[in-house]
Amino acid sequence: MRIRTASIASAAALAAFLAAPGCERARYVETGSPEGIISVNDVDFQDILKASSGMLESLGQTGVLKTAKNKPAQLIIGDVVNDTSSRFDVGEVTYRMREQLVNSGQATVVTTFGTTPEDKQAQEVLRREKFLKGETVEPLPDPDFSLTGKITQVKRSAGGTKQATYTFRLTLTNLRTGLEAWTKTVDMTKLGNKNAVGF
Amino acid sequence: MTVPRIAIRSALVVSAGLLLGALAVTVVTGCGTVNTTSTRTGPADSAVEATTKVNNLLQQIFLTAKEVRMNRTKGGPMEVQVDVENNGFSYKTFAYRFDWVDAKGNVIESQTSVWKSTNVPSGGSTVIRSVAPNEEATDFRLQVRRADS
Repeated sequence: MRIRTASIASAAALAAFLAAPGCERARYVETGSPEGIISVNDVDFQDILKASSGMLESLGQTGVLKTAKNKPAQLIIGDVVNDTSSRFDVGEVTYRMREQLVNSGQATVVTTFGTTPEDKQAQEVLRREKFLKGETVEPLPDPDFSLTGKITQVKRSAGGTKQATYTFRLTLTNLRTGLEAWTKTVDMTKLGNKNAVGF
Repeated sequence: MTVPRIAIRSALVVSAGLLLGALAVTVVTGCGTVNTTSTRTGPADSAVEATTKVNNLLQQIFLTAKEVRMNRTKGGPMEVQVDVENNGFSYKTFAYRFDWVDAKGNVIESQTSVWKSTNVPSGGSTVIRSVAPNEEATDFRLQVRRADS
């Protein structure tokens, strides 16, 4: 009886050890898949993909880019502020949107346009040089929209359980009218005592 | 003849386990259940015949597809909406992913084809949706997976 009990206990201990999270072997997983780590107090890559996906779907659904004077619409990527305690490059959201919009021909992104004195001066120098060389002056970028945004968080806890809601919001402003042409908010709420692998 | 002590002990352990299990079921089914109703009594105009296929897929993770709707959005691309119901007794968490396919059957690569997770309480429902990346998309492919826990 004592030997049988000891055998069962040993087998159970071995099974528990093998099943422990610390024994997860390194392996490749699909980026953004539900198999990845879910962090309660941080923005995960899955969240970034979900946010950019939601923004792109909303842009396509509303057709706002088709209302631009230029075809395809010309976009300036403005400031997207990360107002959370999680460190990540906000460009991960906007780069993915740019990739889809530009490669599909829905929009072009103006990467050299600016309103700072240096940009205006550079544009003026370019114009003058082309004029002196007798070259045709190419029209300078004439952006239709600017894309700006903010990422915020609200954190709460109850005992050992933590809850964090991350809100991604982007706004498209019509540069000809100064009015907001499109805006979208994507929320993500996570709840738990600690981070987990998989969902 | 007296009953051996080990038999009595085993019987007590089994009884305690059954009682705890019954209590757990009561707690699980009593907490977090949702009751759902709707004013709509018939299928939507944009409901498609894919409901049966989608339902067969969701049944594998113990959920039900009530209706699948496809319509063209104001911006031009197609949108699909799937009403998912949880007629079971427990809270269900699952992940889903829509891929869009053009008229020739080629999958359109898109930043919108990502895994998203959601949950449905017992007796509740949710809508999972996707908007196609461009106007060439005509059909969708849906993948679902249940949470491990």
